[in-house]
Amino acid sequence: MTAARPSTLGGRRLLGRIGARLAGAVFVLWAVVTVTFFAIRLIPGDPAQAYLGGPGSQASTEALERVRVEYGLDQPLLVQYASQLGRLAQGDLGVSASQRTPVTQILGEQLGGTLLLAVLALIVAWLLALGLTIWSTRGGRVSSAIGSGVELVAASLPQFWLGTVLISLFSTWLGWLPPVSTGGAAGLVLPVLTLAIPVAGFLAQVMREPLLDAQSAPFAVSAAARGETRTGMLLRHGLRHASVPAVNLSGWAFGYLISGAVVVETIFARPGLGRTLLQAVTVRDVPVVTGVVLVSALAYVIVLLIADAAAELLDPRDSRRRVTS
Amino acid sequence: MTGGTLVYASGDAEPDCLDPHVGGNYPQALLSSQYLEPLVSRDADGAIIPWLAESWTTSEDGLTWDFTLRSDVTFTDGTAFDAAAVKANVEHLQNPETKSSTGYLAVGKVAAVEAVDATTARFTLSTPDSALLESLSQPWTAMESPTGLARGLDANCEAPVGTGPFVVDEWVKQDHVSLVRNDAYDSAPADSAHEGPAYLDSITWRFIPDSASRFAALQSGDVDIIDNAQPDTIVQAKDSKTIVDLDAPRPGASNRIELNAGQAPFDDAGVREAFVRSTDVNAGIESLFFGTAKRSYSPLSSAEATAYSDDSLFGYDLDAANELLDAAGWTTKDADGVRTKDGVRLTVRFPVSTNQSIPAEQSLFEQIQAGAGEAGFDVQLELLDLSSWYEALGTNAYEAVSAPYTKVGPDVLRVLYDSAGIVPAPSGYFANHAQLDDPALDDILTQASDTLDPDERAFLYEQAQQIILDGYYILPLYDQQNHFLLSTSLQGVRALPTVSTPVFADAWLVE
Repeated sequence: MTAARPSTLGGRRLLGRIGARLAGAVFVLWAVVTVTFFAIRLIPGDPAQAYLGGPGSQASTEALERVRVEYGLDQPLLVQYASQLGRLAQGDLGVSASQRTPVTQILGEQLGGTLLLAVLALIVAWLLALGLTIWSTRGGRVSSAIGSGVELVAASLPQFWLGTVLISLFSTWLGWLPPVSTGGAAGLVLPVLTLAIPVAGFLAQVMREPLLDAQSAPFAVSAAARGETRTGMLLRHGLRHASVPAVNLSGWAFGYLISGAVVVETIFARPGLGRTLLQAVTVRDVPVVTGVVLVSALAYVIVLLIADAAAELLDPRDSRRRVTS
Repeated sequence: MTGGTLVYASGDAEPDCLDPHVGGNYPQALLSSQYLEPLVSRDADGAIIPWLAESWTTSEDGLTWDFTLRSDVTFTDGTAFDAAAVKANVEHLQNPETKSSTGYLAVGKVAAVEAVDATTARFTLSTPDSALLESLSQPWTAMESPTGLARGLDANCEAPVGTGPFVVDEWVKQDHVSLVRNDAYDSAPADSAHEGPAYLDSITWRFIPDSASRFAALQSGDVDIIDNAQPDTIVQAKDSKTIVDLDAPRPGASNRIELNAGQAPFDDAGVREAFVRSTDVNAGIESLFFGTAKRSYSPLSSAEATAYSDDSLFGYDLDAANELLDAAGWTTKDADGVRTKDGVRLTVRFPVSTNQSIPAEQSLFEQIQAGAGEAGFDVQLELLDLSSWYEALGTNAYEAVSAPYTKVGPDVLRVLYDSAGIVPAPSGYFANHAQLDDPALDDILTQASDTLDPDERAFLYEQAQQIILDGYYILPLYDQQNHFLLSTSLQGVRALPTVSTPVFADAWLVE
């Protein structure tokens, strides 16, 4: 009986935390929908014009009227907002105004490519960051200085510039990789690197200090006294200690990767959520913009939860003391 | 010479619908020129030539047109091309459900189409329209299978059915459109290089929005032709032995800045001339377009045989500009060096559509802003997305604007400069951005619309262009730029002399 009490308490606390997280997630999704709706609709201009043709086409009055009625644009703004919330609450994302296709179908077609890109980029970023920090913290002062310099530069590279440079280098000059994604694995290399390199810079930056600290921490000294090798210590203790802030940062990094997809998918002409979003914003396609933003927010929330759990596993001390992203 | 897949990379946004009857913009025209064909075409000299229509006759009053159609043409779904199909197509364009804008305007004067017999389609017009043939030569009024149209808008948007050398095979959204050869093709226009099916097996139509990536893909051989080539890449291509430039200016209007004569300060011709004279436009074009764009001095594209130019009106002369502004009463300057008159600043609001003006053009506008600033104008450039740009025009919140207009033939002058075009539709849209309101000009444009005599028509349009140029309502810049870069392994490509879309019925790939 006595043994059961802490676990019940723990279970209740866990349930409470999950409940709070879920409520927070719902609030975030509502806020995202609301901000998106008004941000798009309050800028001047007639969405009906944008739906009809775009540059070079001169929409007739009759056609414009038709579009306004069809998409409820003739209704007051608040009525449009309320009806959109109502539909979303029922899980109905609506039909794209410009593509005349259900938004769920568009998301279904485009989500996979972007998730693949983001997940691969996160993995590559972790590998790059680990390699860089291990190499630079194990060497002397020179490699440490080089390491922190590379991290800083990598973290501050703009994606549009990096992508163009990688294309010039590996496609135009060396001819090793295709400049645009054509479906094969080779086409993924440059987009993944473009996304991963800046993130690797950030991750390495937060891993470096704890790794150096860990090497001089009391547990490291006693482990060394027990005869632990340097590599063994690094893997068993140092990295575990150092990766906690990086795992926490990964949640944020995932959001960065999803938003980076807008730039990278455009440069490398990859189909995906980012390009869909860009095109939808240009033509003021509210249902599609809302759908993409909702799915991205949802993915972000889920990844944050996973990162949180992973950090807990790595360092089970009181989570409140940890820095969260 | 036969076989192979051509890869086309477009810089345009992917169309929402592959049927150019719906909406009706240039990206749709580029694609649909491969699978849809119109009734007539135009040759390199500007003369209308037969395509799906073999010949035509006009009644004395110009209100009845009889088109004799080819009897041997079949749509790729097996439906016969006949007069009933022509009738169905015009009705499809005129049906508000179709949401056609460009094609809808093109057949605006057609009251009815009657299928007299299988090969005779009779068009009855509400008023005479000397531009009818030019309107019907455009991809936005091309012929589609009535059986295909009957599937409904959504299905037809996915894969329109035409009579062209290629057929829409598959459309993977946000990725590519595949077109395959129409093996039964035998309806090439009168000026094509060869009859019968295309040499290519298929075309993969991709969308690569980033200009540098698009050019890199051409250099690496991943694609064979790119559109929307920007001045920097065209110059790089000139140095290349494996890439050639196809310069195919769009027809209709030239790219020009229109000055809003409907309100102060540009309701004064002297102030308009001062603005035009204050900037060295030629130097700007030379430095920003690297010799890839030729200066225009005409309201019309050089693709129009009836284009009339007058370079004497547009010379750079800052002193003259200052004198004109002094004479117009803009004699005082405020602390910023901006001229004032009765306490009002000489402000020029200039909304710029980022969808319609390429980066080099936006930079040119900045140079014009700086030049006009020397003379004391306060030019306020504002970069806007398309909807906000329409809003600025609709609320009359502009003194200068640049809006491209693609249309086959000089009738574009009526659309852009007849005073009827000042009246905003309930949508707020109007085409006469210069707000040019001159009864003499309206009269000339109406006569030109009514007359079917080519010489008289050309003479009237020349007079109309003189009025527009002499009044300094516009500052012509260059033709609407439309450069394609092609790999030298791709041969036999030409741009249709109608709206300058490249076509591949005569093209082949060499190893």
